[in-house]
Amino acid sequence: MNIGFLNITIINPAVNITNKVNLWIKNGIIEHCDLSEPNWDNDTELIEASNWVCSPGLFDMHVHLREPGFSYKEDIKSGSSAAANGGFTGVLCMPNTKPVIDNPVVLEYIKQKSKNLLVDVYPSAALTNNLEGKHIAPMMDLYNSGALMFTDDGNCVQRSDVMRIIFDYAATKDLLVSQHCEDITLTHNFAMNEGALSDKLGLKGFPYIAEEIIIARDIMLSEYCGRRRYHVSHISTNGAVRLVRDAKKRGLRVTCEVTPHHFTLTDSLLESYDTNYKMSPPLRRQRDIDAILEGLSDGTIDCIATDHAPHALHEKDVEFESAPNGIIGLETALALSLDRLVHKGILSLQELIMKMSVNPRRILGLPDIKIQKGVNANISIFDPNEEWTVDKNNFLSKSLNTPFNGYVLKGKPKYVINNNQIHKSTL
Amino acid sequence: MITDKKLTNPFLLQADDLSIEDIYLIFEAADYFLDNYKPGVKFNDLKGVTVALAFFENSTRTKLSFELAAKRLSADVFSFQSKTSSLAKGESLIDTLRTIEAMGVQIYVVRHSCSGVPHFLQRNSSGIVINAGDGKHEHPTQALLDAFTLRQHFGSLKSLNVCIIGDILHSRVARSNIKMLSTLGANLGLCAPGTLLPRDLVKWNCKIFDDIQLAIDWANVLLVLRLQNERMESGLLPSMSEFSKYFGVKYPHLTSKPELVLLHPGPVNYGIELDYRLSSYPNVLIQTQVTYGVFIRMALLYLFKHSFLN
Repeated sequence: MNIGFLNITIINPAVNITNKVNLWIKNGIIEHCDLSEPNWDNDTELIEASNWVCSPGLFDMHVHLREPGFSYKEDIKSGSSAAANGGFTGVLCMPNTKPVIDNPVVLEYIKQKSKNLLVDVYPSAALTNNLEGKHIAPMMDLYNSGALMFTDDGNCVQRSDVMRIIFDYAATKDLLVSQHCEDITLTHNFAMNEGALSDKLGLKGFPYIAEEIIIARDIMLSEYCGRRRYHVSHISTNGAVRLVRDAKKRGLRVTCEVTPHHFTLTDSLLESYDTNYKMSPPLRRQRDIDAILEGLSDGTIDCIATDHAPHALHEKDVEFESAPNGIIGLETALALSLDRLVHKGILSLQELIMKMSVNPRRILGLPDIKIQKGVNANISIFDPNEEWTVDKNNFLSKSLNTPFNGYVLKGKPKYVINNNQIHKSTL
Repeated sequence: MITDKKLTNPFLLQADDLSIEDIYLIFEAADYFLDNYKPGVKFNDLKGVTVALAFFENSTRTKLSFELAAKRLSADVFSFQSKTSSLAKGESLIDTLRTIEAMGVQIYVVRHSCSGVPHFLQRNSSGIVINAGDGKHEHPTQALLDAFTLRQHFGSLKSLNVCIIGDILHSRVARSNIKMLSTLGANLGLCAPGTLLPRDLVKWNCKIFDDIQLAIDWANVLLVLRLQNERMESGLLPSMSEFSKYFGVKYPHLTSKPELVLLHPGPVNYGIELDYRLSSYPNVLIQTQVTYGVFIRMALLYLFKHSFLN
């Protein structure tokens, strides 16, 4: 099927373009992309889109698709449907599957399962065998099989000697190393952020220093090992933002991401002991949100990534301390970012699209997306101003562990087009 | 007629679920039961009410106290022990709670080693939930009986200096007492080594003592907490003997200040936080706490029934 959007605003910050056009996608290819009126054919559905924005396909560089091993939570197909529904055309999936993506066989499995989907699913791979933080994974083989980034996400490499070996080994091909930053000797059995509230609620805390100590160490190691590429996953604290800002000022190749929940929610919500507020890193304090907003606005924080972490209802509906960490995010990320960042004046639409499409692709070494006549369409279309109420029953993810159900948000995904497929959002 | 006034909330998950009026109302009802209870006499106020004692963690005094309180009021009481239940077979907590719920329970008394389980139960149940101790969070009925014990002894808690000694960081008794005793007008002090104190102490609004002698000089009441072996094992203390030396309450501490009153929620580790010679010392009110505990719990059960189950 072909589709045409009338009077849509194209924003592509990669080439600094903003203009209104009639956009025609025919057989997956951009057939027409200017203000003139094309000769629409009968096979084309025409949509009035003068209030909508078309951006290069959004990219989420931190999702857990749970396959292989945990398909009851999510699988590659349902996860990519959720991504498309939330406005994404590309994702980077995390390697903490079962078995772990620490060898080319599992990577090949992911690639096979990702074929013929609208969403481009790119794999990341483990830094160390079985995410154990002891012995480096076959990074060269994994890179040659398509891994764009290396991380033990969910776990954090504790040993400095192992991390140093990783950076030295990564130097061979200038590989991208990423870390879930958590000094586990300081976070044993944690259930939330450490502070006055964790003491009040009687829950074990994850102190902000546990995140910052690792970031500081890794930045130092990455510099020592020859200014290596280093990406900080889901940054969550004031001090972490400061560390990355300082590293960037010194010209180091350090990048970072933040999740929508870490710039919208604080730990005060845990008073309810609702396990949909339990994640790692945990929700922090208002002063951390303030620092994150500043980091987004001054460019310290390169991108927004969801850390989409599906868990089945029966796994979350348990004692708070026993509940697994994580919430789903793919279907609320764009709307939360528009609502809390663009409409609150933290970021312009151009800057948001940089952080949700252009920057993550560049960090991973993927080419910029073009929106022009003759190229394959890889685009996201959304209404930046439509108000709507989040209803998790409309989600396409297999899991429903979201704290945002019932939120009224301004800004809503509409369509995504990629790989000659069109998805209209069900949200 | 005991009293006709009613409680504010149909649950007791944490100390601040009770207003100051609620606390005085509970005291009033406890006074009534204290004055009118005689061995062999039963009250009929909870006839036809089913009370479930859902103890997912070991307990002696709290469980017996609630059981006795409910029985003296003629309630139907049944208890649940996690060790002999299907939990041991891997049944989830939520399913266990639904099973108990399906049997027709009006009042739950719940204890669990995880903080927040009473909240979880309250969200998933139509019954009245009483927290009998959850993890490191709260133990509000212990605070009620401690407050009642002090009120019986001193007449009022206004301007009373109460110093809590020991493992405050991991203590649900300390959390509930800090809230409740301050609500009743007491001044709170804390005395513990740094590893057993909460962070952000300013928010707790307590005086901090790093020396037990200074704490004793200041206090009218010492609330001594149990020190668990676990704290040693996790390396928070160099040794039991060092803790005992600097933060244990010794015999001379009390003999040098005869009017000083001492409470302990039990069970006591004699020789560690408390000198054994103090176990039968006049102003050491540990047994009195236990006795009053039953009347406080009778009062609470009565008031929940009277306020919300008629």
